[in-house]
Amino acid sequence: MGKSDGFLEYNRSLSPKRPVQERLKDYQEITKPLLSEEINKQGARCMDCGIPFCHAIGCPISNLIPEWNDAVYRGQWHDAYERLSLTNNLPEVTGRVCPAPCETACTLAINCAPVTIEQIELSIIEKAFAEGWVKPQPPAKETGKKIAVVGSGPAGLAAAQQLRRAGHSVTLFEKSSKIGGLLRFGIPDFKLEKWVLDRRIEQMNAEGVRFETNVDAGVSVSAAELKKNFDAILLTMGAGAPRDLKVPGRELSGVHYAMEFLTLSNKAISGEIKSDQIISAKGKTVLVIGGGDTGSDCVGTSNRQGAKKVYQFEILPKPREWKEPWNPSWPNWPLILRTSTSHEEGCERDWAITTKKFTGKDGKVHEAHCVRVVWELDKSTGQYSMKEIPGSEFVLQVDLVLLAMGFVHVEHSKLLTDLGVQFDARGNIQTNPSFMSSVPGVFAAGDTVRGASLVVWAISQGRQAARAVDLYLKS
Amino acid sequence: MKEQGLYHPSMEHDACGVGFVVKIDGTRTHQVVRDGVQILKNLVHRGAVGGDLKTGDGAGMILQIPHKFFSKVLKFPLPAEGKYGVGMLFLPRQGKDSDRAKKMIADQIAREGGKVLGWREVPVHPDCLGDMAREVMPSIWQIFATFDGLEGLALERRLYILRKVLENEAAKLGWGLEDFYIPSLSSRTVVYKGMFAAPQFDHFFIDLMDADLVSALAVVHQRYSTNTFPSWALAHPFHFVAHNGEINTLRGNINKMVAREGRISSDLFGAEIKKLLPIINLSLSDSGIFDNVFELLTLGGRSMEHTMMMMVPEAFGVKYHISEAKRAFFEYHAAIMEPWDGPAAIAFTDGTKIGAILDRNGLRPARYVITKSGLVVMASEVGVLDLNPPDILEKGMLAPGKMLLVDTAAKRVIKDNEIKSGIARHKPYRRWLEENRIELKGLLQVPGPVEVDQATLALRQRIFGYTLEDEKMILLPMAENAQEPVGSMGNDAALAVLSNRSQLLYNYFRQLFAQVTNPPIDPYRENLVMSLMSFVGRQGNLLDETPEHCHQLKLSHPILTNDDMERLRASNLASFRVCTVPMIFDATGSGGNLEKSVQALCSQVEQKLDEGYSLVILSDRDVGAGKAPIPALLAGSAVHQYLIRKGKRYLGGLVLETGEAREVHHFACLVGYGVNAINPYLVFESLADLKRRGHLSGKMTLEAAIENYITAIKKGLLKVMSKMGISTLRSYRGAQIFEAVGLNDEFVERYFPGTSSRIRGIGLEVVEQESLDRFKAAFQESRSNTETLDSGGSYHYRLNAEKHLFSPQAIVNLQKSVREGDYPTFKRYTSEVNDISKNLCTLRGLFRFKKGQPVPIEEVEPVETLVKRFVSSAMSFGSISKEAHETIAIAMNRLGASSNSGEGGEDEARYKPLPNGDSSKSSIKQVASARFGVTIDYLAHSRELQIKMAQGAKPGEGGQLPGHKVDELIARVRHSTPGVMLISPPPHHDIYSIEDLAQLIFDLKNANPEARISVKLVSEVGVGTVAAGVAKGKADMVLISGHDGGTGASPISSIKYAGSPWEIGLAEAQQVLVMNKLRDRIRVQVDGQLKTGRDVVIGAMLGAEEFGFGTTAVVTMGCIMMRKCHLNTCPVGVATQNPELRKRFSGKPEHLINFMKFMAQEVREIMAELGFRKFEDMVGRVDRLEVFEAVGHYKTQGLDFSKVLKVPEVPQGGAIRCVSAQTRDFSLSLDPELIKKAKNALEFKQPIVLEQKIRNCNRTVGTTLSYEIAKRYGLKGLPEDTIKIKFEGSAGQSFGAFLAHGVTFELEGDANDYFGKGLSGGKLIVYPPKSATFRPQDNIITGNVNLFGATGGEAYIHGRAGVRFGVRNSGAMAVVEGVGDHGCEYMTGGRVIILGQTGVNFAAGMSGGIAYVLDESQLFDTRCNLEMVDLEPVAEKEDREFLKTTIERHAKFTGSQYAKAILASWDEMLPRFVKVMPMDYKKAMAKMKEHQVKNSESAEMTEEVFL
Repeated sequence: MGKSDGFLEYNRSLSPKRPVQERLKDYQEITKPLLSEEINKQGARCMDCGIPFCHAIGCPISNLIPEWNDAVYRGQWHDAYERLSLTNNLPEVTGRVCPAPCETACTLAINCAPVTIEQIELSIIEKAFAEGWVKPQPPAKETGKKIAVVGSGPAGLAAAQQLRRAGHSVTLFEKSSKIGGLLRFGIPDFKLEKWVLDRRIEQMNAEGVRFETNVDAGVSVSAAELKKNFDAILLTMGAGAPRDLKVPGRELSGVHYAMEFLTLSNKAISGEIKSDQIISAKGKTVLVIGGGDTGSDCVGTSNRQGAKKVYQFEILPKPREWKEPWNPSWPNWPLILRTSTSHEEGCERDWAITTKKFTGKDGKVHEAHCVRVVWELDKSTGQYSMKEIPGSEFVLQVDLVLLAMGFVHVEHSKLLTDLGVQFDARGNIQTNPSFMSSVPGVFAAGDTVRGASLVVWAISQGRQAARAVDLYLKS
Repeated sequence: MKEQGLYHPSMEHDACGVGFVVKIDGTRTHQVVRDGVQILKNLVHRGAVGGDLKTGDGAGMILQIPHKFFSKVLKFPLPAEGKYGVGMLFLPRQGKDSDRAKKMIADQIAREGGKVLGWREVPVHPDCLGDMAREVMPSIWQIFATFDGLEGLALERRLYILRKVLENEAAKLGWGLEDFYIPSLSSRTVVYKGMFAAPQFDHFFIDLMDADLVSALAVVHQRYSTNTFPSWALAHPFHFVAHNGEINTLRGNINKMVAREGRISSDLFGAEIKKLLPIINLSLSDSGIFDNVFELLTLGGRSMEHTMMMMVPEAFGVKYHISEAKRAFFEYHAAIMEPWDGPAAIAFTDGTKIGAILDRNGLRPARYVITKSGLVVMASEVGVLDLNPPDILEKGMLAPGKMLLVDTAAKRVIKDNEIKSGIARHKPYRRWLEENRIELKGLLQVPGPVEVDQATLALRQRIFGYTLEDEKMILLPMAENAQEPVGSMGNDAALAVLSNRSQLLYNYFRQLFAQVTNPPIDPYRENLVMSLMSFVGRQGNLLDETPEHCHQLKLSHPILTNDDMERLRASNLASFRVCTVPMIFDATGSGGNLEKSVQALCSQVEQKLDEGYSLVILSDRDVGAGKAPIPALLAGSAVHQYLIRKGKRYLGGLVLETGEAREVHHFACLVGYGVNAINPYLVFESLADLKRRGHLSGKMTLEAAIENYITAIKKGLLKVMSKMGISTLRSYRGAQIFEAVGLNDEFVERYFPGTSSRIRGIGLEVVEQESLDRFKAAFQESRSNTETLDSGGSYHYRLNAEKHLFSPQAIVNLQKSVREGDYPTFKRYTSEVNDISKNLCTLRGLFRFKKGQPVPIEEVEPVETLVKRFVSSAMSFGSISKEAHETIAIAMNRLGASSNSGEGGEDEARYKPLPNGDSSKSSIKQVASARFGVTIDYLAHSRELQIKMAQGAKPGEGGQLPGHKVDELIARVRHSTPGVMLISPPPHHDIYSIEDLAQLIFDLKNANPEARISVKLVSEVGVGTVAAGVAKGKADMVLISGHDGGTGASPISSIKYAGSPWEIGLAEAQQVLVMNKLRDRIRVQVDGQLKTGRDVVIGAMLGAEEFGFGTTAVVTMGCIMMRKCHLNTCPVGVATQNPELRKRFSGKPEHLINFMKFMAQEVREIMAELGFRKFEDMVGRVDRLEVFEAVGHYKTQGLDFSKVLKVPEVPQGGAIRCVSAQTRDFSLSLDPELIKKAKNALEFKQPIVLEQKIRNCNRTVGTTLSYEIAKRYGLKGLPEDTIKIKFEGSAGQSFGAFLAHGVTFELEGDANDYFGKGLSGGKLIVYPPKSATFRPQDNIITGNVNLFGATGGEAYIHGRAGVRFGVRNSGAMAVVEGVGDHGCEYMTGGRVIILGQTGVNFAAGMSGGIAYVLDESQLFDTRCNLEMVDLEPVAEKEDREFLKTTIERHAKFTGSQYAKAILASWDEMLPRFVKVMPMDYKKAMAKMKEHQVKNSESAEMTEEVFL
């Protein structure tokens, strides 16, 4: 359906972004919502493909994208919401922070500009909240089964909601003071304001999910107790162990993991801590090491805190620049240079650089010693290996270094040791295709299993694991 | 021949030539017999011979009892003429068996009170027969008997009873038709017939040569059967009739007859009537069964004419101007008997009266001549007897639905009007109807508001398996547009029996469709012959007629609204009571409840009928917790069949009130399996809900939506019926025009008896389980909070929904592999498609190869030769873009393989090589029903000519190319007008029957002797016998397409539900061809979702030599299965004509080349592994296939492929693949001689004038001559009149077909069908013999379907032409003095002047060209189909001048006195001419004119002008 020639009639158009100068002054979201008529047109661009690659290859949770695009085009927002809520527990989150692999898989991305799927998703769910359509959906029948979900990131939230709606009694354990995990403490407000989470948590509360915050499962409540009191345990605590940069000078003050920096910043914004308790970039020269999304978030946060200058170094070579609106690797995720809103706000990016050591003054980091590298293909193994370029060494004066080099695996906490779950070679929890770990009745999903990945993958895993737990409890 | 493998005798078809000759005054002469034989001999080309090239399909004759002859040859005395009966008997040949049979006969005659006078063994000369005929030849006897001095009709009835007794006794003894058969047993007529071709006839039966063998009349018949399993019994004529055509509705007619048997009574037979049962002998053919019923009705008291009017009623819809009495007659009889529908020309006689009738569609030719000396000759062709022109009184033909009768007692010829008005008035039918017919007040009026139970709506929708797709892709489009939704591409979803999703029972049924053996109908342009009207209620005694017979509910169509149901229930007639029976089963138990509930339902209905109810409503309105609906199709058919078995079906009507039915296919199944009417209440509720939710466009009221929906279903039903060539719902109902795929025998036998189901499959338990799965899912707790439905995924791909062969990843991998030339990626693609654990969609998925001794791959035939077996499937330029079309051609040409033009013509610029040496010429040229751009030039520039009989995505249907897709170039190659819609008719108007196909094959072979001729069929049950017919029609290749093939646009229900998988069709074709010894001379190709090398090898083993790739080929060029071809919005520029989108086309010849090579490479790998070095060694090696038993799917367990994988017995001298070639007989062709004589004209353009005698056996004259011209000079041909040939006599079919420019044929005499077919620039002139005295303008001079598909040239016809004159003419100019029905149908160009009356439905679907009609009666507008044309006066100077000068030319060329008279009073006559002007054409012409004015330098027109 859609409008059969809508893609010929209308151009792709995204929500306008607030001007850089304005948005640097606050932590509010960067984009302004589009008028609904414009969204209707964007929906009209969907061709209702015989094979919707967005849904089938692009979207990890198999959002029924053509169905809600069509509904939006026709102004049937309620229908759109119904279709959207069939597959996604947190569209208000994915609508804001997802890199949208659906759009790169959109059929229009073969030779034209894809449908603005993410923006439509966000419009639908915001409309649904505004109209009061998002109501608690408590189960009609209680099964009497009890499930503990550990970790309240996207995987945990999605799983908890699904399991609760299936009639199980669900307790969600969170070691922090608030629910949301990485969504709340990892992602800056300018990408995801936290009332968005509160709103969803409220719904889940009303549906009967029990939230236990400030409970470090395995410590505050022992693994044995969990096993005793619950029919099943689902582990969704993410991949919290950050990748470290083991070079001389790492111990200097002013060298931090990105997540430390972001968490404190987020807590300060929400008022959980005072503003002087953060790691501040104010007036500092900041070096962000790592070219991914977390690094980018560090850039945006640093700039908002009033950094003097922000650098971002990436060890891999600069990806190819691609100005066209279509996807050269359709329907797969293209490896191209991406410029985030944080980059727009001021940042010097450089690639193929590795950091050899930090040197400091008075125990504080003062210089980063870097060298340029090349990547060479070893034809026998098919692997790329890195080689330093002699003579390319350089030194950068820095006041703050943020390590955003990704995460290695789930934190191997007491809970996991006590439960006795096995890990895979990469240190993630090992599960079978039904999401069960080596310990019967103990399931795991999300980054905990896959390693650090997208929010939408976490939701997908959470939902699938919930179904697996449900089937397990029924059998 | 018994059932074996996939061959089933019930699938045999026949058609043929039929005729009669009669002395009007009843004088008996031997000459009449000789004339009969002569007619047969001159119709020999309408028959066929079998695999031994000698065994005819059968011929025969009905004569009056030759008393004088018998008296001479018999050794015992005979009583007076008419006082004894003569039996013609086919008995076993062996003396002992023969004696047993004779003894049985004698015993029974004695028991029946008769006296045997004596026996005579009929002397025959079997030496002339073919081996196959001789092997099964019976011994032929005549027996003579008397019954107590009985004579006349009383004796006939006695003999009728006797014959039935004998047949029943034989059946009891287990004797089949081949052991015991009685061609005739009568005191009035005798039938001589057998398995021979016409020329053998009088040689075989020596009797026929005896001068004392005299008769006043003879009915003759030459048979062309689709296969050659010889049967002496099935030769025509039968006891009363000889039939050319096909009864499509046979299954329903049989069931209804069986149902009526319980109610039959007659004073004429009294208690003896029991001996007549069963009325129908089921081993007979359709014609034989027709004869059985005809015989009962005529001997039961009705006249032959009356009976024919009952069984083959003419159309009596509102568009026909017929008398009220006649209309009442037909309506009254509609309450008694349904039409025996299908194409039919039937000759009949009882020995005194002789006549012929044509069915309502008039699709068989029936020409007659009446002479002054008192002879009437009727035959499929004119010119079968040499008659002296001055002696001819009248030359005519039967019009659709009309009858001709000669009564030798009254010594008169009686015409249709007189016959019918007499019969229509002999009872007060009109008053009977008015007083008895029930028409519930308000019934079928505008629907009222719908009550929606909102709280349970979603739940109930889910119980009945509704999906979002059902709502959005089926219901909404129907409600919005009042027609079935259209889709594109093929159907690659899993077969119902392989699907993991719960399937509705309908999904296991596939619609059958007409191909070759009878034509589909155009339900839009020719719907005047169609009807959805029916009577519902208690039926009366068939052998009686009373006012109460029509005391039934009259429904104008079978879809009832909720209001209608209320009114029905509220009606309270004591004589017409209505009750409701719940159609529910208990969903709580552990299984087995469904069966019990169905049983209970059947007996409940029976009880209600016994109690006197006339209408039973089966209702599933009560579904809810614990109460599941019985699948409506199961309930409907089970009850229908149960009542038939109990002999009670006639007691009342069956109405379904069901939430399940929603698609056209559902309704078609329900009606097709015997239900009278359906109320789809949940559809109405769903529409109300959709309205509430804002899904219906703003202005649309719910009432309008419901009306639209009902209209869409009605149109859809007409379409489904028309696909099979069935005109009326009355005969479609219960006709079971379906085959089942995936249902087991026990289940089918019990609930759907008579339906073919070749691979068995699931049974009642799985049906129950699937119902319960749906039911339980509907109640799932987690779903309690949402009212939204499942996505569906059967049309558009959804993850976790229905499986599709082309998964998203498969497409990505395939495209990547061919673009990068990367074979490992291609292997990933094929393994994805072949992975049955995820992707079991097709039957072949369940097959695997038996291991062989591997050979080194180097020893296997190379890729280069393998790819030559590959073709790109037909895709027309128009359905796909120029870029895509030419890319395919270039790629295939580079490979030395073939691309197929599709049916859109071809730009002649493509016949020249490109500068880089590439060629974009399609080496296969398709000849489809619309004949777009099929000129002699097009035909001459090809290596293969393919006749498309059907297309996998829409078998039995036509199509249309919307005006916005017809740009300048497309218009030019299709010989049409830019911006004007183009219609492809459902049938080829020159193929209504198998012998017509043979004729077209003959035409095409003449049009290009170098090209091979192929015929494209679609897999369905019986396709094997059709393929045999095609082989006998001398095609060089037959293509079996799967049901799942692609399309640019087709109704969704056709894409999904018509046709069957190619695995079955191919296997059937292979088996029948091999067993018939026909396979050695014909190649076999297969296509339909072929995706991998494995598919190709399986195809080869099942019998294919060649392979077509359609969908897969376009995917390699960028298609991503958007399924929007019909919307012209293809975003990758493949299936669109939008110039912007065409720019996005990124396909390259290399992509397709890589694909074909990869495919060949994979085939090689498999060959190496299996141990085949040569591809041909694999063809037909079905023994190397086996079923992969390990597939543990719960539904596949019952599948049984033993019939598909049966190794056919190879007859001596036969083969399992093509090893030789067709032999062709051009001995009667005139062209070789003409070409020789015209050598100088051909070579040096030297004008030449020739003279030539001609007769009806000289067919397709001028076509090869035209080929020689086109080869040398292209379409422009020779200068006008370079070759002038004057013919004298009756020209055979296809006279002047594809005649090239520069050739002029003048014919003094008359012509048969297909005169000027495909005329390509030549000139045709025809006038009656100068010595004739009849008025040509009142007589038929040329046959049916003149100038079909003509693209240019001129024709002048002094006299009238038959039906369908100028159909699909796109450029020829013609003058004719009168035409039959459907004149100028689908015309897109050219001009036609008609100086006299036309038949009905003139200009239907005419989108271009102009017709001028002399309308002296001022009634032309009532006979013209005004949907697409305007009628205007001939006002403009240009028109006036054209008209006058052209008529002047006509007068000059033909010497027409009639034309001269018109010209003599021109000023008076001119205002009586009407100009028939297609509306769109007018607009487009105006636009072009405007454009030309603007660009006086005549710049080439751009496409934008027409967008």
